[in-house]
Amino acid sequence: MKKSIIFSIALSLSAFSCSEDFLTVTPETALSSVTFFKTESDFIQAVNSAYVPLRALHNINSHLLSEQHSDNARYVRNILFGATENQSNLADFNVPTANGITTNGNVLTAYRQNYLIIARANQVLALIDAASIPDATKRNVKGQALFLRALAYLEIARYFNRGPLQLTPVGGRAEAAAALGTGEQLYAQIIKDATEAIGLLPAKSAQEAGRATSGAARTLLANVYMIQKKWADAETLLRAVVTSGEYSLMPNYADAFSNSTSNKNTRESVFEVQYLEGSQGLNGTFLYSMLPFPISAAELVTITGTTNPQPLSGEGNNIPTPDLIEAYETGDKRKDATIGTITLGGALHVNKTFPYIKKYARPHALHNNHGMNWPIYRYSEVLLFLAEALIEQNKLTDAAPFLNQVRTRAGLANTTATTQTALRDAVYQERRVELAFESKRLHDLVRTGRLESVIKAYGDRVKANKARYYFPDAGFVPSDAFTLITPYYGLPAAEADLSPNF
Amino acid sequence: MQPKLFLLRSKMWAVFTPLLLLLASLTFAQVSGKVTGSDGDALPGVNVAVKGTTRGTSTGADGSYKIEAPSTATLVFSFVGYTAKEVAVGNQSTIDVTLSVDNKILNEVVVVGYGSQVKKEVTGAVQTISAKEIKDIPVSQIAQKLQGQVAGVQINQTTGRPGQGMNVRIRGQLSVSGGSEPLYVVDGFPITGNIGALNPDEIEDISILKDAASTSLYGSRAANGVVLITTKRGKSGQTNVSFNVFTGSQVVPKKGRFEMMDAVEFAQFKKEYYEDAKQPVPIEFQNPSQYEGKNNDWYDAVLRRAPVQSYNLTLTSNKDRVSTSLVAGVFNQEGVVINTKYQRYALRLNSEYKVSDKVTIGLNIAPQYVFDNTPRTDGDRGTGILFNAIHTWPVMPIRDDKGELTLFNRFPSSTGNIFAYPNWVRAANELVNETKQTNILSNAYIAYSPIKGLTLKSTFNVELLNQKFFFFNPSTATSAINTAVPVTAVSIREATDNFGWLNENLATYTKSFNNHNFELLAGYTNQSFRAEASRIQADTYSDDRLPTIQGAINIARGGTLSNVQEWALTSLLSRLSYNYKGKYLFTASIRRDGSSRFGSNNRWGTFPSLSAGWVVSDEAFMKNFDKISFAKLRASLGVTGNNNIGNYTQYALINNTVNAVFGNNVAPGAAVTSLANPNLGWETTRQLDIGFDLGFLNDRFQLTYDYYTKNTTNLLFAVQIPQESGFTNFNDNIGEIKFWGHEFSLNTRILDRGKLKWSVNSNISFNRNRVVALADGIDRVYGLHHITQVGRPFGQFYGHLANGVYMNEADLKSNPVVPGRSFVGTIKLVDVNGDGVLTNGGDRDDRTILGNPFPDFTYGITTNLNYGNFDFSVVGSGSQGNQLWVRHLYSTANLDGVFNLHREVKYRFRSEANPGKGFYGTTVGGGTATGIERDWQNSRFVADASFFTIKNITLGYTINKKNKLFRSARVYASIQQALVFTNYWGGSNPETSAQQNGQGDGGNLSPGVDLFNYPVPRTSTIGVNFNF
Repeated sequence: MKKSIIFSIALSLSAFSCSEDFLTVTPETALSSVTFFKTESDFIQAVNSAYVPLRALHNINSHLLSEQHSDNARYVRNILFGATENQSNLADFNVPTANGITTNGNVLTAYRQNYLIIARANQVLALIDAASIPDATKRNVKGQALFLRALAYLEIARYFNRGPLQLTPVGGRAEAAAALGTGEQLYAQIIKDATEAIGLLPAKSAQEAGRATSGAARTLLANVYMIQKKWADAETLLRAVVTSGEYSLMPNYADAFSNSTSNKNTRESVFEVQYLEGSQGLNGTFLYSMLPFPISAAELVTITGTTNPQPLSGEGNNIPTPDLIEAYETGDKRKDATIGTITLGGALHVNKTFPYIKKYARPHALHNNHGMNWPIYRYSEVLLFLAEALIEQNKLTDAAPFLNQVRTRAGLANTTATTQTALRDAVYQERRVELAFESKRLHDLVRTGRLESVIKAYGDRVKANKARYYFPDAGFVPSDAFTLITPYYGLPAAEADLSPNF
Repeated sequence: MQPKLFLLRSKMWAVFTPLLLLLASLTFAQVSGKVTGSDGDALPGVNVAVKGTTRGTSTGADGSYKIEAPSTATLVFSFVGYTAKEVAVGNQSTIDVTLSVDNKILNEVVVVGYGSQVKKEVTGAVQTISAKEIKDIPVSQIAQKLQGQVAGVQINQTTGRPGQGMNVRIRGQLSVSGGSEPLYVVDGFPITGNIGALNPDEIEDISILKDAASTSLYGSRAANGVVLITTKRGKSGQTNVSFNVFTGSQVVPKKGRFEMMDAVEFAQFKKEYYEDAKQPVPIEFQNPSQYEGKNNDWYDAVLRRAPVQSYNLTLTSNKDRVSTSLVAGVFNQEGVVINTKYQRYALRLNSEYKVSDKVTIGLNIAPQYVFDNTPRTDGDRGTGILFNAIHTWPVMPIRDDKGELTLFNRFPSSTGNIFAYPNWVRAANELVNETKQTNILSNAYIAYSPIKGLTLKSTFNVELLNQKFFFFNPSTATSAINTAVPVTAVSIREATDNFGWLNENLATYTKSFNNHNFELLAGYTNQSFRAEASRIQADTYSDDRLPTIQGAINIARGGTLSNVQEWALTSLLSRLSYNYKGKYLFTASIRRDGSSRFGSNNRWGTFPSLSAGWVVSDEAFMKNFDKISFAKLRASLGVTGNNNIGNYTQYALINNTVNAVFGNNVAPGAAVTSLANPNLGWETTRQLDIGFDLGFLNDRFQLTYDYYTKNTTNLLFAVQIPQESGFTNFNDNIGEIKFWGHEFSLNTRILDRGKLKWSVNSNISFNRNRVVALADGIDRVYGLHHITQVGRPFGQFYGHLANGVYMNEADLKSNPVVPGRSFVGTIKLVDVNGDGVLTNGGDRDDRTILGNPFPDFTYGITTNLNYGNFDFSVVGSGSQGNQLWVRHLYSTANLDGVFNLHREVKYRFRSEANPGKGFYGTTVGGGTATGIERDWQNSRFVADASFFTIKNITLGYTINKKNKLFRSARVYASIQQALVFTNYWGGSNPETSAQQNGQGDGGNLSPGVDLFNYPVPRTSTIGVNFNF
């Protein structure tokens, strides 16, 4: 018996002597950062994760913030539903804002998801130069990270015209909040990143479809110059895209947009957000947020073609405004490709026929799960940017052919405008109908200085005829609607609570 | 009464006699004899000592002893659990002694951490409950039996789900993100889970350790308090066989249920809704009286009267060096919600063998099988059947014209019906949500006493758990609202394998000389735990009868996972107890814990404690206060930790399922999703306890009081950080919460006259907390309807103060409004910040603190009345001043009428001429107007949940006549959850609160939320105990 006790004590002591090993228990079913960021595959996986927040950003969020918050789409309230201010306030231009801070939840989502891209890109950029991985991969991955960071900062700059400037990975609580950068500082960083990305990224034909390319980086940088009215710089970049031979317009406008499982990353596509239909959780659902409710399964299936349609009630009704519908010229093929109509038997409105956004309505297999991509830049926008940059430099004859390329594809005659002012207006008009519901409208109004005049007039029309703007009988235009027409959103309150810098 | 007075005298004499006796002891002679218990069985191991000397021996297996003693000497016979006896030797050479079982509480031995102590000498705040005291309460879980019994311990039954939902908080402990459940130690083995499944009949007694001096030997796991459970042993020299059985019936009383509209009332509401909106009334509601006699009470439809049975056979024996106890139990409970069921088959075999006088070995083994099926009864509108049932329009038929259960119900959208309501009776009947659990808890030990006073003990403990979970949602039913049935059938299978072991090596040395008594404990322990889990989710079945994995068309990757959780703990511990004459008591202890959970820079924590006691009643000057039979002052101070911080929280983890898509291809993605903190450690609690124990009139009245104050610092706090960083939070040890409180227990034996005995035990506790600090730059964190703010109590309800509705235009004009959304008849809120505008969040926020989920005080009262063979007992438990957040009011008072409504909504504002009670607002205006009332969290959601519940009433009769069948038998009848006195209107269970970790309702920062959980039934039982 004594022996066994001595044995057990000896055993215990030996266990004690190696207790540091005994106490080191690392997770078996997760990787830790200590062992990651070593191999080529690690960096590719890391940059892949930086694309992921784009899915959340464009799965209706960007549409709410830049199309519904404009004169293109209305939020149609279902009066039986509450908790709607986050959406209805965007449509009604009464987003509650005080001291440059807003509580709007959609604004918060846009802010957080863009900074998630930035943080993941920063993680790659901080480590990739020192990594021993093949040079081609290094350049490609670094270029993608720079492009994605530039794209996210562009969104931040356009929504807020200011924002924290995070350029290195955060390692602890002390470094979590960065100082607010001004719009100017943000744009300087975007120009720096995009310029570097252009030099690193391959052309579209040499890149895996769906990833960032040198053409996408050029277009993004040109977009910044358009905002900054550096027309000549924009022209140079845009011409490089046009002459690259990598892009052309799809003959049929409707084919410029992807189907659920096909027609993705076409030759017209410069950059688009990639979704995948199926159960992996990589799908989009935005189409379902663009339909009028309540809609029966039988009505819904005519749009979605799914095998298991479910009736929908609730919220999320983003409906084309009559203003937009009227903006299409007679004979414009894009009208039918962009806007459809549907009659809802159960609608709470007297007029039960509603227009809906048809641009992305492509058949798919299962309810509320689709793989249509969301366009960020299409070649037609490159052409319209270029036309605009030339017009602003008064190179009017150079400009018209680019504008007309877009019009021709839409089945329209060449523009009749000849003066700089008329051509400018023609490009603005063309952008509105060509790029409708591609999250461009608000940014265009702000960039061209037309926001206040356009939205004020629009607001007056809404108030004058609420039924025309889809208010149900029992609904009413809030008394404070169209009282806050500002070019930028307030920074999100939930983040203001946490950051000492705003 | 006489013998007790005599005992008291002799005790006082004991102080003066040793000297006299020493002088008198001159001649020595051999004395021998036999010690027996009152039942005539021999008692081995009884201490036989010559009074006033160190000479002594103990009785052998047959109860006999031999000792040298002078004729002037007195022999003292003492044995744990028995009243000591003194016999003067005189001329006798044979002295046979019969010892009687000691009922005197102060000589009771109390199980404390890593040992036991005579109750009189305990210096910490420890409360013990003997299983005997709570044996009649006909429930499955030990925690249910303890409700109302323990001062300073709040035990709430948060759900009536069979076998689930007991929430135990010692001294109001809570944590920002760690767990707050006490540590459960079964026969010395700190187990990883809770004790919900443990068969209460296996338990001998329970010690609840509350202050740091009692708990600090459990180091980094002790801050939430420790519950020590000792299972049944054989009693010296006795063999007992008993069989206990009860059977009962459970029902949810109609009274106290949340009041919803019936079909006629609901149709009337809808009619008025359209009339008030000046719209045509849909045909379905034009004539509400058509629904008379056609009410569909969906809640009642999923309830039933349900049986419960329990059988326990217990055998204990302690003879010939072998002590054994065997407990076999079967518990079988059908739930009061249809198709719910809980079954437990439990065995326990404890045996101990005295190999020699110096060596003892023992083995306890307790295998168990538990079956549980509860088809998603609890939870909010997403998934909870009960929550959904009250929301369903009572005009919707449960059964169709042919008497078949409907699949789901939907009215035309012209009636404002926007949700499809599945049939909840089907959901309860057809959903499978079952857990099968097999576990084994075992302890093996060897104890060796090489020399007198020294014991070396080595233990090896193992806990095994294998759990299988199976969920199946057939195509014909669902628990999710707004779903048209049939649905896509889904199955989920989970398997869990847990393996934990603990090795403890302890040395105890006791030494007494000249009235100085020492005990030194030293130990070294290692514990490790590993859990492996996997989950497979599959869907789309061609046939509901075959819910196999292969029968599914699709394996849902998002619902499939495997996971390993592991931790290790190495500890050194030591305790020194010293007392002088059992009168001046001191204890110091220390534990050092090394834990795999702590960051690499902070791996070891030290947890010391000190305590002292003074038995004032043993002092000479107390002689004159003969009404005070016992008095002890106690004080303790110590440090404990909480290591419920997750196993891998210190690491920066990579999530490698952040996948991207390119074209139609999935591209694997990986991102850092949490920040590393190599300094991460335990939460530290420093606790001071001051208390006293008083006995009056020969301990007929016993009062215990404790004051405590504790500061929990280094809170494990997932500090929210700006998400511009790419992260949501940083796990840090930061912040401080202060707790303090008072606890009183009063045990009285009011009557003890012959056949009539009456005792009343009562306790009351006051627990308070205040947040002293959070992180720098952060003075508040929000829960779902809550705020935790520096300078205030934890987890307070937060939102807008409601102040009726705007009664007329003048009211609207003269008060602040929500721009664009306030009208005559809508909810009127208080402009707390006085800026003239009502604002929800942001920089002009009008939200404020609305209430407190924590009680002002909790209390319990137990009374036992015996007359002859009759016994009668009542147990009550109460809580005062606590409030609940009535979560379902968000929808049950939704003025848009999309759900069934709380009956009070009948009395809403309809017009200036017909303002109702002016409490609920107008239905006119749709979501713009009604939305504020619902979506802006406000004080209407807060309800007083004070209660006093008669937990149990039992009436019993004992047949003591020995006969051929049994030695004794007792029959009893009892009612559990007999009566609930409360003003709470949000549901039938004021003890409820959602329980879950993380951010949701019931998460750490969101306590006290009523999610309309499974009701706690009233159970009527009859039972019989046989002793053979």
